Amino acid sequence: MDKITRPAISAETQKKNRSFRVRHILSQALLYLILIFGAALAVLPFFWMISTSLMTLGETITREWVPAVPQFINYKDAWEQAKFAKYFMNSIIITLTTVTGLVFTSVFAGYAFGRMKFWGRNIIFAILLSTMMIPETITLLPNMLMIRGAIFPLPFGNNGSWINTLQALTVPFMANAFSIFLLKQFFAQVPNELYDAARMDGAGHLRFLLQIVLPISKAPIMTVILFGFIGAWNAFAWPLLVTTRETWRPLMVGLWTFVTEAGPETHLLMAGAVISLLPILVVYFFTQKQFTEGIATTGLKG
Amino acid sequence: MTTTTIMPPVQRSRASIINRIKENITAYLFILPAFLIIGVFGLIPIGYAIYMSLFNWRVTKGDIAINPSNYTKALGDWTGVALFLGGVVLLVLAYWVWNNAFKSQQRRKLIAGLIAAVLLIGMGVLLSFGWDRMMAAGDEDFLKSLVVTVFYAVGTVPIQLGLALILAYVLFQKIRGKEFFRMIYFLPYITPVVSTAVVFRIIFSPRDTSLSNLILDGLGFEPLKWLFEPRPLTEVLFGVQLPGLLAGPSLALATIIIFGVWTFVGYNTVIFLAGLGSISKEIYEAAEIDGANAWDLFRSITFPLISPVTFYLFLISFIGTFKAFNHIFVMQTTFAQNTVQTASVEIFNIFYKANNYGYAAAQAIILFLIILGLTFAQNKLLGNKVFYG
Repeated sequence: MDKITRPAISAETQKKNRSFRVRHILSQALLYLILIFGAALAVLPFFWMISTSLMTLGETITREWVPAVPQFINYKDAWEQAKFAKYFMNSIIITLTTVTGLVFTSVFAGYAFGRMKFWGRNIIFAILLSTMMIPETITLLPNMLMIRGAIFPLPFGNNGSWINTLQALTVPFMANAFSIFLLKQFFAQVPNELYDAARMDGAGHLRFLLQIVLPISKAPIMTVILFGFIGAWNAFAWPLLVTTRETWRPLMVGLWTFVTEAGPETHLLMAGAVISLLPILVVYFFTQKQFTEGIATTGLKG
Repeated sequence: MTTTTIMPPVQRSRASIINRIKENITAYLFILPAFLIIGVFGLIPIGYAIYMSLFNWRVTKGDIAINPSNYTKALGDWTGVALFLGGVVLLVLAYWVWNNAFKSQQRRKLIAGLIAAVLLIGMGVLLSFGWDRMMAAGDEDFLKSLVVTVFYAVGTVPIQLGLALILAYVLFQKIRGKEFFRMIYFLPYITPVVSTAVVFRIIFSPRDTSLSNLILDGLGFEPLKWLFEPRPLTEVLFGVQLPGLLAGPSLALATIIIFGVWTFVGYNTVIFLAGLGSISKEIYEAAEIDGANAWDLFRSITFPLISPVTFYLFLISFIGTFKAFNHIFVMQTTFAQNTVQTASVEIFNIFYKANNYGYAAAQAIILFLIILGLTFAQNKLLGNKVFYG
């Protein structure tokens, strides 16, 4: 009896196992299908952009999927004729200046709020934090008047106005509550023993900050740099308001004026769009892990 | 001897006072640059915007605006506003009654349901009466832009969060190439919004040969006008003509919603993933031993435990859509008329093109108050539905 029943059971379980395996494979296949479909949708516009940027004008109108011969000359044309070279350099300078200033102000303010005792610390910090809730729509207009010198004359400008200057595009973004908050949180966790040891060696706050705290704070400072970089590079509404000439017009505004003025030259427009997102992509690919983790933990950025 | 034993404390306290003053001065110097910049470009403008909103201010400051004030000009009729807000209060009351009913017995539940229904009818009446009065006397463009904003928010946020949750859930399984997919999904979020909005303008152009119309053609549908189509979605797709607000968003706005979803799904996915990672594996294992299938696991474990993340994302996405500007500004076309003009775009146009500064400031403050109210309401209403473990 035993000899007969045993194989029967094992055959049944085998069958069960097989059906389980089939179901497992099917559900895995479904998961990958969802993932690949999502990825395809995410990438399709980029594919379309790059493909169009390499077409001739004729091909953009007859609408091929891929150009017969990739027209790399489009990039040269966009770069030179459509003045993207100028806008690109402007954007680079604006972004680097902004980020440098941002790191400078945030490091010092973050340190003071995180590690020093001073009168009114909590109130000042709360006031600074409250600016995070104010939408740009409200501050845009008064700030534009401020930059024009209509509220009070600004120093280092043309007759008190900062319109069409580098400082109009950079200074307002050289400090924000988010960066200060981020660094404050990190600096506050630096063990007090380190500070006491530094005091013994006769170091004050400044030397402690520069020689000991900064070298161990690369990660949060990198996050500040990343967010600052992206914010400055992507800025649009503000530069649109405070630039009326090409002198300091950044890439994003240049791209937009190209849309409104150039009309049918889609291939050049797409080449310009590719140029405009390259720096961000480069930064993203090199700091990818840091970046996603930065966002997942802080959960911020408009 | 006695002097030496007494002296040190005195010296120390004097030294410590000097030290404290020194520390204060250093600290103020440290925060000075940041405070100066945030103060000048972040704090002063708020007060100044309120100040501006009180004047007839076209490029240069004019008289103080009374009769009508900029606020009255925008909202029209204060009785209408009061009626409308009354409607909102009734909605909150109905929600409260209904919510409390679930805690009590069957019969009370029925009564509570009836009360809630009456309250909801009252809400509908007040909202529509109030709204009509406001529309009759106020600034139609501004009020319409608020409706467009609501359409945009309601259209974007649920779809975006739903898709993100699905993707995050799938990515959280044992999957090869997890990092790769995460990176791909994140691309639309990371790329500059103006660049991608420009690309979407081309993809969703009304030409027969635009990518969107090629895809429709491949599926056997007629080409659409997309960003150039001011007609409501319901009319374009189903041919139904609904009156007024019932008709819903225009196809042009729906296209912008597609862009919004495309951009932000990846961001929400990453945050959801972080949330999923914090749910302990033991709960799943225990449920699996009890014979729960995948759907059970999702419904009774994942979904409630992830609710704080969902709530957080819901809140910031909603506020984000109310503040959204860049991509809508880039994707707007004159052909879409004012069906894509959300409040932030409308306000921008009022001061940038129409140069009506005082009025724009008043509108901006109204928008801010609405955002503040929504934040508060969501915190109060949804906040206590959230399971914080």
